[in-house]
Amino acid sequence: MDVGSATFDRSSLVSFAKGTVSLAVVLVLWEVVTQLGMIHYYFLPPLSDILFATDSSFVALTADGTLIYHGYLTVRRALVGLVIATVLGIAVGVLSARSKIMSWFWDPIIEVGYPVPVIALVPVFIFWFGTGDVSKIALVTLGCFWPVAINARNATREVDENLIWSARMMGTSDRELLRRVVVPAAAPGIISGLQIALPISLIITFVFEMVAGGGGLGHIEIQGVRSFDSVQVYASLIAIMILGFALDRALRILRHRLLAWT
Amino acid sequence: MVEGHVTISNLEKVYESGGERTKAIDDLSLEVPSGEFLSVVGPSGCGKSTLLYLIAGFLDESAGTIAVDDVPIDGPGTDRGVVFQDYALFPWRTVMGNVTYGLEQKGVDKKERQDTAQKFINMMDLDGFEDKYPKELSGGMKQRVALARTLAYDPKILLMDEPFGALDQPLREALQDHLLDIWRDLEKTVIFITHDVEEAVYLSERVMIMTRHPGTKKTAVEIDVDRTQPREDIIMSDEYTAMKNDVWQSLREETKPQAQL
Ligand SMILES: Nc1ncnc2c1ncn2[C@@H]1O[C@H](COP(=O)(O)OP(=O)(O)OP(=O)(O)O)[C@@H](O)[C@H]1O
Ligand SMILES: [Mg+2]
Repeated sequence: MDVGSATFDRSSLVSFAKGTVSLAVVLVLWEVVTQLGMIHYYFLPPLSDILFATDSSFVALTADGTLIYHGYLTVRRALVGLVIATVLGIAVGVLSARSKIMSWFWDPIIEVGYPVPVIALVPVFIFWFGTGDVSKIALVTLGCFWPVAINARNATREVDENLIWSARMMGTSDRELLRRVVVPAAAPGIISGLQIALPISLIITFVFEMVAGGGGLGHIEIQGVRSFDSVQVYASLIAIMILGFALDRALRILRHRLLAWT
Repeated sequence: MVEGHVTISNLEKVYESGGERTKAIDDLSLEVPSGEFLSVVGPSGCGKSTLLYLIAGFLDESAGTIAVDDVPIDGPGTDRGVVFQDYALFPWRTVMGNVTYGLEQKGVDKKERQDTAQKFINMMDLDGFEDKYPKELSGGMKQRVALARTLAYDPKILLMDEPFGALDQPLREALQDHLLDIWRDLEKTVIFITHDVEEAVYLSERVMIMTRHPGTKKTAVEIDVDRTQPREDIIMSDEYTAMKNDVWQSLREETKPQAQL
């Protein structure tokens, strides 16, 4: 037992080291090359400057609250849009898989709407809704709607007919069927749709902020560009990476919780 | 108890998919008295599953009628319970959650449905597995959960589509004997589909043989054995062997031309 767990620990340590060694090499190389002045500071400052060694470093901008406040703005826009898209997308996806009329109405719309590069609509949304939160959230909602709806629809179509029959023979009415059987059975696919939509919500928010301002990490980044402060550009990039990573992890944990049965 | 009697008259089922029409059941009439154990055998593709799903109310008949206790059926109902070959358990519900489902739908209160479910879980030797999800169970256990789930909401008629087809021999025999006990104790009408002549003859009071596609009733053989004896004695007896031969011969006439293809 002891020997077994010891070798297990060692081998998992080794595999962890192997998995991260390439990343470490790149980071060290980055620091060395930039410190030696082999790359122009404006293109790529040393990692240490970006992280902590300057006034607009990641640590400095976090300590003075800048990144926290603007990170909050970005996440709020992304998540509000994502939540609205989730509610609408699941409803449309599930219903269009179960109802002929809904599928007649929605299938062509999804077919045409899904491939549209949503980012191209930023100017259109600025025309329609201005540059404020409403406009940003509306575009996030639109962009996230497609993957959520399509995944919900496909997952619902693939629900085993025998499960539906089982429920009906045990007295489940057509109305209850969606909530009690169809949605739980399709849940893995529905949540996959959410996982696809999450990074999309951040991308749309970020780009919209870069173009239209109004605060947020995208705004902070483009501000860095305009004031030739490349450290600030990279600091806001790190912030969005961390947020994206954290939200993705949170969603995975949620998936694990909800789908313990898979 | 004189409930759960099934009357099928001039039943016909035509599948229509993509402009193509397949007649699966052709003019089938059958009477299953209350409390009978009837097995249905027939060549593959002859319409056995179709027949069962029609009786269950999952499919609509193209012509003819199906009545339970003289009332024509209208879709699925809790008077009939299907046990599927691939179990069809709800994977997001535990064993307990699956077995209580039908009782929840009936509006039975929580305490009572737990007790009832527990009774059937114990009956199927599944105690200790109440909180497991279907993915954590073996095939034989899943089939027992499926049986418990269907028995728990107490349908008068059990409709079983090759329920033991995927199980190995010892488990199969154990579940067959289990089913016979349940059938005797709970007084259910059972319509049991199988492609295994041995299984059909061992279990049932009557075996219906279907013609090959499109299926209809070819003949039915009464299986008259004293079921209080142990399995070995039953299957060794001469009458049993003779009845089994009758079924086998009749089925063989239907499968032979296909086997030559
Ligand atoms: N959904 C469907 N659409 C069209 N044809 C179908 C459909 N389901 C079954 N059939 C056809 O109906 C006939 C009977 O099928 P069924 O599944 O009832 O046979 P079976 O006797 O249960 O066969 P097996 O012993 O292989 O399970 C077959 O010819 C089959 O191809
Ligand atoms: Mg079949």
